[in-house]
Amino acid sequence: MRRYLFWVVLTLALAALPVWAQATGNTFYIELVRRMMIFAIGAISLNLILGYGGLVSFGHAAFLGTGGYAVGVLAFYGIFDGWLQWGTAIFGSALVALFIGAVSIRTSGIYFIMITLAFSQMLYYLGISIEEYGGDDGIRLKARSQFPLVDLTDAVQFYYVVLALMLACALIVHRIVHSRFGMVLRAAKSNEARTRAIGFSPYAYRLAAFVIAGAMGGLAGALLVNQTNYLTPEFMNWTRSGELMFMVILGGMGTSAGPVVGAFALLILEDVLAGMTEYFLVILGPLLVLSVIFFRRGLAGIFSRHD
Amino acid sequence: MTDEVLLEVRELSKSFGALRATDGVTFDVRKGETHAFIGPNGAGKTTLISQLAGNLLPDTGRILFAGEDITALPAPKRARRGLARSFQITSIYPEFTALQNVALAVQAHSGSSFRFWGDARKDRTLTEPARQVLEDVGLGERTDVLAANLAHGEHRQLEVAMALATRPRLLLLDEPMAGMGAEESQRMIALLSSLKRRQTIILVEHDMDAVFRLADRISVLVYGRIIATGAPDEVRTNPEVRAAYLGEDS
Amino acid sequence: MSAALVFEQMLNGVQLGVMLFLLAAGLTLVLGIMNIVNLAHGSLYMIGAYFAITVGQWSGSFLLGVLAGLAGTLLVGMVVELVVLRALYDRDHLDQVLATFGLILFFNELVAILWGRFALFASLPTYLQGHVEFAGIIYPLFRLVIILVGLAVAVLLWYVVTRTRLGMLIRAGASNRTMVSALGINIRMLYTVVFGFGAALAGLAGLMAGQIYTVQPGMGEMILIQAFVVIVIGGIGSIRGALVGALIVGVVDTLARAFLKPLLTLALTPGAADTASPAIASMLIYLLMALVLALRPAGLFPARGG
Repeated sequence: MRRYLFWVVLTLALAALPVWAQATGNTFYIELVRRMMIFAIGAISLNLILGYGGLVSFGHAAFLGTGGYAVGVLAFYGIFDGWLQWGTAIFGSALVALFIGAVSIRTSGIYFIMITLAFSQMLYYLGISIEEYGGDDGIRLKARSQFPLVDLTDAVQFYYVVLALMLACALIVHRIVHSRFGMVLRAAKSNEARTRAIGFSPYAYRLAAFVIAGAMGGLAGALLVNQTNYLTPEFMNWTRSGELMFMVILGGMGTSAGPVVGAFALLILEDVLAGMTEYFLVILGPLLVLSVIFFRRGLAGIFSRHD
Repeated sequence: MTDEVLLEVRELSKSFGALRATDGVTFDVRKGETHAFIGPNGAGKTTLISQLAGNLLPDTGRILFAGEDITALPAPKRARRGLARSFQITSIYPEFTALQNVALAVQAHSGSSFRFWGDARKDRTLTEPARQVLEDVGLGERTDVLAANLAHGEHRQLEVAMALATRPRLLLLDEPMAGMGAEESQRMIALLSSLKRRQTIILVEHDMDAVFRLADRISVLVYGRIIATGAPDEVRTNPEVRAAYLGEDS
Repeated sequence: MSAALVFEQMLNGVQLGVMLFLLAAGLTLVLGIMNIVNLAHGSLYMIGAYFAITVGQWSGSFLLGVLAGLAGTLLVGMVVELVVLRALYDRDHLDQVLATFGLILFFNELVAILWGRFALFASLPTYLQGHVEFAGIIYPLFRLVIILVGLAVAVLLWYVVTRTRLGMLIRAGASNRTMVSALGINIRMLYTVVFGFGAALAGLAGLMAGQIYTVQPGMGEMILIQAFVVIVIGGIGSIRGALVGALIVGVVDTLARAFLKPLLTLALTPGAADTASPAIASMLIYLLMALVLALRPAGLFPARGG
């Protein structure tokens, strides 16, 4: 019951925000919260494999990067059709996830962490090395993705598109984790030996989850490049992967509200600290360390018990 | 116990460095039989179960299940062929309810699990059989309790339930009564008794009372080798066995 | 593309490999024996460089800088172990990754505050400058020194690991930690020594790197990830694996960056080769890692017995 309450309140609050922002002249909040929702989608996708699946993927930002590049590169060549761009972003990321996952998921533990990190770095360096698309400086996005019924250059319309997508992604992950597929994924995380003993081979399920998460991350990337109007390999920097992991953990792993709460909390914290000093990471770093040492269960434990 | 052989094990051997944990083990298990393995600690009983279940690869030897060579077959595939195992040290899903635990075992054997939308908690093809199995093992009243909150004895019952839920042809029970008090043990013996008619069971146990009441045949394992196989009375009176094992205990 | 050029690049590859080895050796020991993944290892590398350069310039003595680099790294390493890592020994790898990730952010920013975000430049003392001539090439003296130092450390490590009691404990601990502590060996002491070793190696790599590579906040992470690739290829807990893996990665990466373009120009148009080669060169060691994993999921020389 509390879980439903959370989502209803959240949806209403987020839906009302642009109205309030325009009325009070604080329109920059629209951009700000929109950015948080985009990262929330990234965190939701990572939560599927990390929070529910137990796959400590330290390379998730690579999928956001792939999605962003799909849109950015198509735009570079004058292709602005939103369906085509976002479709490519999603399928492209899914494909990349398939390759990375196929190799990585055969390993476990610390190997898996290092390998996913290495592969995402590989893509990062790939992005840097392609001078055509700006190399490590990046390039401006020529124009935002174009769709028949909505105009993404309108800040408010874009905002509601992102809100709708965030809620949709949260719902999708929620249904997945309670489906037969999701139960196997969670079981494999909880007790792998037992899962094999009853007749499941976790590999295929984990790979499928990894691909789904990658595809959703690609969507987040497509939204992100539209949000920033700029394409840069920094989307894929491993520190972004670390940030995404923190969003999932801080919010509460393996809960449906967790990634959203975590994304908002971390980004708000970063913005507040950045407002105080340019060197805010020297404060954020230790805060993150302390949060891991002392505050493991995350924030969303307040809102929903284990689903 | 029929004459049809369900499991054939031939010259199974497994060494860890200089330690011969399994040494040329050969035996048959017939369909409908309850075949118990006893032996002192360190005799290699769990190592043997692990090789039969597919968790450990033997160095040499063969395992044939219903005529099929499963020696190198991975554990999940053996489970799908009807070879179910319970663990000596409780291995369940602590954060799921007892019902969900068993429902997962049911799910492994009822069609594809690559379904992404339908709520598994409401899937009656999973929950109904699961309830039935929990009822059979005596956990009918505890279906909605989180597995972590069950008592130790109930954990052992849950282990058996999960093995049963996979509709097995052969049950590998590794010390199902481990850590149980007297009363709980009696209940477990009654449960296993009721299974005897319908199942083929390989039972590893230390509880001699249970072994002699349940087993059709007993094999005695010492230092990885079977030193005797036969009906309970034969084994009980076998001098080698008494010397190696029973003599110390009784 | 003469033989001399290839030889020179191979030496560069060995030099990179030796640096990677110093970093990877410490990481793999800590991972293998203490089962801790410490991302802040790269920060120790960075601190070694910064301390060495700063003290060297301030005092005018290169050697003093070297000592400062080593001592400073060791000190910071000890503090990190005491304050942060001790709390993480019993936690899972995810927690360790996240916590040490927070440390990286902290150290990078701290260095930026104290020294600024722009690159720092070092200058070698005259006795280490210049070139040596041999085997038909003219090679920078300092790079040769790095190779020699690295190989000397490799020999030292080999000696310690195979010929001393400490080394025996290390090898035992790498393959079965619980057994070692069950035997009553003072695990805390062993951990501290191993961690100190690792920190010193990172600092040594850093202070040498500081003389030839860019010194700026974040320099540790780039080489750290390459060190991970080395460990995955070589196998966790294995010094031998770290050396072999490091040399392979160092040589492959360097040769690819140097020669892939001319090689590809033979097969493709100059334009295509121009865009493709830096891209492929940067991906090569990761593809190599993927290949090794496909064939040997536990690396080439896995130390872990079980």
